[in-house]
Amino acid sequence: MSVGLDYQFLVKTFFIALSGVPTALIITIVSLLIALPLGFLLALSRINRIPVISQLARVYVSFVRGTPVIVQIFIIFTSVPLLLKPIFEEYHVKTNIYDINPIWYAFIVFSLNTTAILIEVFRSAISTVSKGQLEAAYSVGLNNVQAFRRIIIPQTLVVALPNICTATVNLIKATSLGYALSLKEINLRAQVAANVGYNYIEAYIDIFLVYLLLCSLVEYLFKLYEKRVRKYKAVDA
Amino acid sequence: MLEIKNIHKSFGKNEILKGVDLKIEKGDVVVILGPSGSGKTTLLRCINFLEQADEGQAIFGDMVVNLKSATRKQIHQIRQKTAFVFQNYNLFNNKTAIENVTEGLIIGRKVPKAEAYKIGQQALEKVGLSDKINSYPSQLSGGQQQRVGIARAIALNPDIILFDEPTSALDPELVGEVLTVMKTIAKEGTTMLVVTHEMSFAKDVANKVIFMDGGVIVEEDAPEEIFSRPKEERTQQFLKRVIPEDYIYNI
Repeated sequence: MSVGLDYQFLVKTFFIALSGVPTALIITIVSLLIALPLGFLLALSRINRIPVISQLARVYVSFVRGTPVIVQIFIIFTSVPLLLKPIFEEYHVKTNIYDINPIWYAFIVFSLNTTAILIEVFRSAISTVSKGQLEAAYSVGLNNVQAFRRIIIPQTLVVALPNICTATVNLIKATSLGYALSLKEINLRAQVAANVGYNYIEAYIDIFLVYLLLCSLVEYLFKLYEKRVRKYKAVDA
Repeated sequence: MLEIKNIHKSFGKNEILKGVDLKIEKGDVVVILGPSGSGKTTLLRCINFLEQADEGQAIFGDMVVNLKSATRKQIHQIRQKTAFVFQNYNLFNNKTAIENVTEGLIIGRKVPKAEAYKIGQQALEKVGLSDKINSYPSQLSGGQQQRVGIARAIALNPDIILFDEPTSALDPELVGEVLTVMKTIAKEGTTMLVVTHEMSFAKDVANKVIFMDGGVIVEEDAPEEIFSRPKEERTQQFLKRVIPEDYIYNI
């Protein structure tokens, strides 16, 4: 086999790429922690046609869906410092804005992005839970918060889970765009390693494998979880 | 015990309830009859605040509540005193039979878990579903689901149970088991307000029958009177249509 691959480099770089996994995961987890509750609440505002918020949510979703993530990254990366600068000066914050760890920009971009996607995911999922469930909860004396926490959200989650899984996997893959923020994630680490000896093919193969493994693992975990939470759904599906 | 005064409700331009008064004493089994669209279900839903009435008053023991502008606290208090059995059961899909029954006790009323479980078990036993305690609604037949729905209502030990066409969504075969349960709890002295199309239930169990049409009460009387000597023409027409002649004379 003389494809001409540098196997030693391939193996070594695989672990370099792998060392970027925590960064990708932190961005994913932070974004989900922000986007899940926010997306749910905004989806509710859409369903209940809450004035102003509902319209804002709709416009927001179309903005985010209608633009490439990479462009969103550039816009946040360039505009946030400009917006923050006067605020920092006003309150005499000593930190230099251009020294902020780029991961904060990643948190902002990916949270905003995932929120938009989850609004739509939850909007369709909530509408599959019949209104009668809420009425029954009220009739046995639960208040709004209790009814949502105990009855509506668990049922919504089961319906939304496959789509949340897709959104999560897409999010993990999208963190590879973090290189544009010079974020030391999977993609950038492997490419930097490749720069030394022009072993790009090996590096790309490694990146490919790391994402494949990571995403497959996440999908598998979602499947396990889904199986557990949908046990009440009897034999269908 | 429960008195409703001058209740009005419109959906858009469509006036569903045009001033209904209702009085229920403790231990009463009141059945509301009437064609569809007459406002029976809306009346029930307004009492439990599943719909907000446009006008009207509810007097519950010593509590007087304006049905239009009830506070959150009043609504909560009334819901604590009432229980609702829905036409399409509305069991919590993500909860087992026993969890359905105990949910309102544990979460809504802060009854300790062990005690709630015991109450729940007794309620399910009463409706004949002791063996289905851990089944999810999706594993139960319609009749069984509705019996869990009734167990959920009686477990709350309410002053009154509101039944909204409890057998209308059931296969004809399964209607019997639900009616049997309802008869049992009626005999035990549970106060019940029942919207139904089951004439036999109205005849055998109710002590008062209300006939509604067009958003008003047309006639109300003891079942013997309503079924054998209806006074209003509209009532006569309705009964003639739903009960074949010979059936009336067979009782």
